[in-house]
Amino acid sequence: MTRLDDWFGNLARSVARRSSRRSFLAGLGTALVGAGAIPLLPVSRAGAQTREPVPGEPHPDTPEGNPESCEYWRYCAIDGFLSSCCGGTHNACPPGTEMAPITWLGTCRNPEDGKEYVISYNDCCGKDTCGSCFCRRTEGDKPLYYTHKNNDIDWCMGTSSAVYNSTVAVVVGVATKKG
Amino acid sequence: MRTAARVLVPLLLAGSAFAGERNPPQIDYMLQCQGCHRADGTGAPDQGVPALKDSIARFVAVPGGREYLVRVPGASSSPLSDAELADVLNWMIVSYGPAEQAEGFDPYTEEEVAAVRRPPLARVYELRQSLLERFEAASRQTAN
Repeated sequence: MTRLDDWFGNLARSVARRSSRRSFLAGLGTALVGAGAIPLLPVSRAGAQTREPVPGEPHPDTPEGNPESCEYWRYCAIDGFLSSCCGGTHNACPPGTEMAPITWLGTCRNPEDGKEYVISYNDCCGKDTCGSCFCRRTEGDKPLYYTHKNNDIDWCMGTSSAVYNSTVAVVVGVATKKG
Repeated sequence: MRTAARVLVPLLLAGSAFAGERNPPQIDYMLQCQGCHRADGTGAPDQGVPALKDSIARFVAVPGGREYLVRVPGASSSPLSDAELADVLNWMIVSYGPAEQAEGFDPYTEEEVAAVRRPPLARVYELRQSLLERFEAASRQTAN
């Protein structure tokens, strides 16, 4: 028992020699403040929030209403990387890229109102291929001999660079029939 | 105004057809032409896509020009019916002008489009150039 008492006694004295009450308080304070700051860090809390519904659009919590999903209704004939997943949105190109003015257009049915909308698939050009969220859907896509109705070709035309990055889907009109 | 009436009245009369399986001409323009000629009709001349804006109506003012517009590959080979193509051409001529030539033009009919649509033109750029030169020459004569 004596040896155990001596061992603990020595340990306590060596700790007391190497530390102070102030440094203990400083450490405790840092831990308390630090723990309080953890929820402020920019980590994804996707499960903690739901997206705001957009008028005229399917609910954004469904694949047909989520612009970051390949099943989003406007992407019915897209072929490429989703701009919404590459730093842009479904209708705006990622920063540092240029939206091609030459496009291909088709129609997609909005499940919310059942109407066929004219969609312009503009490529975003000028930066290396995004590589995330590849999506290929082919409603209304025609073989290559209908060049203006084919989504396989690089539509980076009329831009300063022909390097393809990603694609957006912009609603430009309402059609009477599928096109 | 006269031209507008001649184009718009048949369009309004055909309005009931649009309710079924016909798109309005502007929508057909979007789906078949706008991808390259752009929404404002300015095209991409440096990429080989001619501008329609302030240009297309010149072709109906010279001999051979009406046929040319129907037979350019994008028009001739489009999936549009003859009636739809006639409507889109009439819409483009009135919308993109120049107004001076669009004002007096006789709108295309389904029958006219059907008669001249085939075959598509093979040497498009050469014919386009010679028609525009013909237009310029005629304009100079009128000015003198």
